[in-house]
Amino acid sequence: MLLVQMLFMPLSIILSLVLLFSVPGWAAEGEAFPDLDMNDPVDLREGSRVLEEELKLAARPQTYLLIDLVSGVIQIKARGVDLHQLSIAAWTVTELPRLTGIFRLTARPPVVRRKIDPSATTEQEPISLSDMPTEYRLSFTPAMTMGVESAAEQGAMGWIHAKSRKAWKQLRVWRQHLGGVQSSSEAPTLNITLPSEQAQSLAWSTVDGMPVVIRRPSEP
Amino acid sequence: MKQVLLLIGSVLSFGLLVALIPYSSSQLQSSIASAPQPLAVDPVVLRGLQNQYKGLKKQLAQFTPHQHYILVDTARNHLYVKRSQEIVLDAIASTGSGVVLDKPGEGNTQWVFDTPRGEFTVQSKLTHPAWVKPDWAFIEEGLMVPKNPADRVEQGVLGDYALGFGKGYFIHGTLYTRLLGKNVTHGCIRLNEDDLKSVYQLARVGTPIMIF
Repeated sequence: MLLVQMLFMPLSIILSLVLLFSVPGWAAEGEAFPDLDMNDPVDLREGSRVLEEELKLAARPQTYLLIDLVSGVIQIKARGVDLHQLSIAAWTVTELPRLTGIFRLTARPPVVRRKIDPSATTEQEPISLSDMPTEYRLSFTPAMTMGVESAAEQGAMGWIHAKSRKAWKQLRVWRQHLGGVQSSSEAPTLNITLPSEQAQSLAWSTVDGMPVVIRRPSEP
Repeated sequence: MKQVLLLIGSVLSFGLLVALIPYSSSQLQSSIASAPQPLAVDPVVLRGLQNQYKGLKKQLAQFTPHQHYILVDTARNHLYVKRSQEIVLDAIASTGSGVVLDKPGEGNTQWVFDTPRGEFTVQSKLTHPAWVKPDWAFIEEGLMVPKNPADRVEQGVLGDYALGFGKGYFIHGTLYTRLLGKNVTHGCIRLNEDDLKSVYQLARVGTPIMIF
């Protein structure tokens, strides 16, 4: 009996260690929103709302975008898998409460495609990421506009240009509010600033009809 | 000089004016994302919300592939074979060039040589595949499209293996390995000999291919 116990003891220790350090498959997938505060009901409600929308998208064979304004990332996803991430440098939004549900891309920046000339002896240059725009607008249905701009402007002039442009946009919003132009029916607008290469990468990855879900921060 | 000073003065006043503008209630900026939240939450309500969130997270995890899957980044011309979060293979690829070719005699219609984006599955696995050249392969070279189907078949240009993922698109090999890492194909995904063999061995019919 003692001999049997002695034989099985190392085995049970090994087994216990394996169980202790093993990670179940679903846990290895990682958190849906690592920055979500599990003690904040507002955060939990928003996280659940986004997951509910994402479940509808992940059930179909397609790629979709998850714009996470809390974490400051845009995720290109399929089946719940994070395929690629883009870092948001800054963002502004109007009509935040209306950024719920699934938005589908209806218009994206045109791509200038080179044409093959069979009679030409030289090959046409292919399209590359550098051919993609760094500033553009994406339109969605239900009505929502996403302005994308690049954070690449360098130097004093670039800084002045960027700040002036931002200030001009701010003034327009202010003027609209003062004049009572903005109404509840106005479509939400999300303006996102991305590093130059990532703005091009987003333009490259979007396809017509691509669905988008947005995770919103809690309002103050 | 006076004009420069005037310009600087205008910019500064403009900036000051904008800085003083209060944000409207419907406009939010990224800086407020970290605003403090009110406390005092009913523990029962909170537990319910936590369980709902965890349940949804589990449901979403059920959609993720549990076996190997292929991920293709067409912008950076990389193909990955992944299992869960682990990268099993990282290969330099060539994907669609994005150029267009007019279809002769069909008005304004064109062939667009893009690698399709979205989710696909491996539909076929072939060894020593032959390329059955489509019409565009002749037209882009200024040649006549052959009437005899046998004249379309070309051996040895696709490498030792090919994995079909629908509508005539394949992951296959190439004779032009110097072009790997560039967008040069007609929509197929090219790999070098060794990476192609690894993908062929790791993938089975039904393996998901996610292309972005």
